[in-house]
Amino acid sequence: MAADSPSTLSDKPVDGAARPLVSMRGISKSFGENRVLRDVDFEVSAGEVHALLGENGAGKSTLMKILMGVYRPDAGTVTLDGEDIGGTSVLDHLSHGIAMIFQELSLLPNLTVGDNILLGREPRRTGWRIDKRSMRRDAQTVIDRYGFPLRAGQLVRDLGFAQRQMVEVLKAVSRGARVLIMDEPTSSLSLREEEKLFAIIDELKARGMGIVYISHRMAEIFRLANRMSIVKDGQVIGPLDPAATSIRKVSELMSKSKPAVVDTAVIEVAAKPASAGVATALEVRGLKTARKLDDLSFTIAQGEIVGIAGLVGSGRSTLAKALFGLIPDARGRVTVGGQPLKLGHPDAAIAAGIAFVPEDRRLEGLVLGHSLSSNVALASLDKLLHRIGVPVVSDRKIADLFEDYHQKLGIVARRPSQLASELSGGNQQKVVFAKWLATKPRLLILDEPTNGVDVNAKADMRAIMRGAADSGVGVLLISSELDELTASADRILTLVDGRITRELFEAKDEAELRATLQADLAAMKKERLA
Amino acid sequence: MTVQQSSAVERDSAWTTIRRTLVQRPTYLIFAAVTAFFIIFAPNFATLSTAGAILRVTALVSIMAVGMTFVIICGEIDLSVGSASSWSGMVIALLLQANVPTAVAPLLVIAMGALIGLVNGLLVTKLRIPSFLVTLGMLSILSGLALTITNTEPVPIVDDAFSDLLWNASYIGLPAPIWWTIVIVLIGYYLLQMTVFGRRVYAVGGNLVAARFSGIKTDRIKITAFMFSGMTAALAGLLLAARSTAGNPSLGSGLELDVIAAVIIGGTSLFGGVGDIPGSVIGAIFIGILGFGLLVLGLSTSIQEVIKGGIIILAVALNRR
Repeated sequence: MAADSPSTLSDKPVDGAARPLVSMRGISKSFGENRVLRDVDFEVSAGEVHALLGENGAGKSTLMKILMGVYRPDAGTVTLDGEDIGGTSVLDHLSHGIAMIFQELSLLPNLTVGDNILLGREPRRTGWRIDKRSMRRDAQTVIDRYGFPLRAGQLVRDLGFAQRQMVEVLKAVSRGARVLIMDEPTSSLSLREEEKLFAIIDELKARGMGIVYISHRMAEIFRLANRMSIVKDGQVIGPLDPAATSIRKVSELMSKSKPAVVDTAVIEVAAKPASAGVATALEVRGLKTARKLDDLSFTIAQGEIVGIAGLVGSGRSTLAKALFGLIPDARGRVTVGGQPLKLGHPDAAIAAGIAFVPEDRRLEGLVLGHSLSSNVALASLDKLLHRIGVPVVSDRKIADLFEDYHQKLGIVARRPSQLASELSGGNQQKVVFAKWLATKPRLLILDEPTNGVDVNAKADMRAIMRGAADSGVGVLLISSELDELTASADRILTLVDGRITRELFEAKDEAELRATLQADLAAMKKERLA
Repeated sequence: MTVQQSSAVERDSAWTTIRRTLVQRPTYLIFAAVTAFFIIFAPNFATLSTAGAILRVTALVSIMAVGMTFVIICGEIDLSVGSASSWSGMVIALLLQANVPTAVAPLLVIAMGALIGLVNGLLVTKLRIPSFLVTLGMLSILSGLALTITNTEPVPIVDDAFSDLLWNASYIGLPAPIWWTIVIVLIGYYLLQMTVFGRRVYAVGGNLVAARFSGIKTDRIKITAFMFSGMTAALAGLLLAARSTAGNPSLGSGLELDVIAAVIIGGTSLFGGVGDIPGSVIGAIFIGILGFGLLVLGLSTSIQEVIKGGIIILAVALNRR
């Protein structure tokens, strides 16, 4: 029963990092020929955050899957509180108190918070009936113990992402978790929600939880971590003391031997010429949607990168989708390269010269089960014909197109026929970029282009973006990583609750931008209430 | 995560392609084994006349399987093809009885097949009803109509020109139904495997959202696939009517199951995005060989169904991906 069992967490702080709670020693793991981990040591003490960094494909997730009991290591031991749990199953590890919170949360949206917290451990009455009343009470007790702003009766469907994360945390602690693995927990959170999450992590630390924190975002790692380890080519570097190192040093340690930064000069997109005398790539007047956007007007010049800074829910992604024709009720006057654009039709948007790298590359950007070359060709099939006028696609031209971008963007792949699902995050994103650069756009809309890609791939994405801009393409960059905006954009527009509040020409630093956004949001709320 | 650092991209060799085909389509091995079994144990199985008979029997399923392949690769299903073919057989018989010219009546029926597909497609895409339900309803409507229109009486076809054109005649040594199969397979292959439309069909089934985000008019692609499926069902209905020189309201009932089985055995994924036309034809021929071989071995039709079902489940289990 959740109400009485979860207190395996002691409320008193455990003394120091002297004795590790979980300790992995000499772990090796191979898949076929591929040695993913070689003689790796990793440990977590009670009451500490141990950050785990590494490029995609370095072996982080394999290491965590061994800790979770999904994989069995080929060699090495996993001990929890001195007890060997190396050869056991996920269920055993869960009952030993090791829990993981995944990037994609694993809650059932159609059930209530209480149902989710106590899933599989529902209090029973006679005849296999679930005792709903005591279930709600038990769940609320767990919620109240942590003081989270949740009610046991709320449907998970109605919760925001941050609240769902809280439910995940509660589910884990109520099962008696002592070690919590968090995989990119902030990737879908707004700034304010991030702060809440960090407070939760502090609270868990104080209660003696050991936390493994996986993230690509250096700033938050340096804010949270007591120790950090870097996985690189199947080996672990560290643990390092965050106080004794720097972001720059860590990036260097993480990167593969040869930094494969794309050369901006190679990316000649050769944008379609705009109508004579027009230097604007995009002009928007009075763009509105029924739900989110409230009378937006702005322009983007050719070769300019305009950043949109906004919190989650500000309408950033809606703006991108509205321009690309994915929102049927979008109204307003939009011209691309001087030509008026009919809203509501993605094919018209593409014909006008808009390219759109969407937020979620796996769901929206790629056909994962198809080959790399057919993914790259998808948005420009009409141009890849054997002969103009006959709608027969030329495999030769598709192969050449892929080869071209394969080299220009430095996509690491074995064959054009390799499936998109087999690539790492950064390379997948390059394939999405290739697909859109192949349409020879006038305007490139990028929605979170570096989401979930490693440091080096991020640098590549920025180089590609800059290369495209230098060849005359207008770029609309949406990012929740504000330092990315300040580093890349020529001009930043702040989007608050569906309205553009400011236009910033000077690249401000991240903290200043963040403060501005929050102040504007507060002002907006006050105004709406009045 | 086995990303190798290699600057040059390898092109696929023929051997890699064959090996990958066999890994992806283990059913082809079962297909070969079953055929070999019949050649060894069934009397006079490996003859040209047997092959001709099988291909003729297979024609109906092959033709509908071509249309079905488009629908299934789109990630949808069309259960209405069997009753659509019955209904088409009834309509052609009534049209010919009403002295509509032999050159016109079949075209009208094919257009009607397209219309049936259009209705299916519109209901699936615009009202967002799962295709399983839409076409299940359409199955019921069409088989009911076929039975009602003549009060379950078959309608004889006396127009020999029609029966010759679609079933009885031979051209250059091949019987008419095989020619029609070849025509439809070539059209299907061209549309699916060579044209822009075909690539879009794969994209729609592979990831509907990504396809929409790539500027593809996904609704239009799906509707077209349903229309093509309806047209192939109508053509199959014409062949059925020509074969029995009559429109019979229950001729095509249950055919949809053979058609779907043929497509899935041929390696097309029920989840969409994966598959091809040659696979579906091989699947149809496999079902034909299985039925014919069991018949030659002297097994009763009832037990044939059991064995056929078992082998189909086995084949699909192996093809799972």
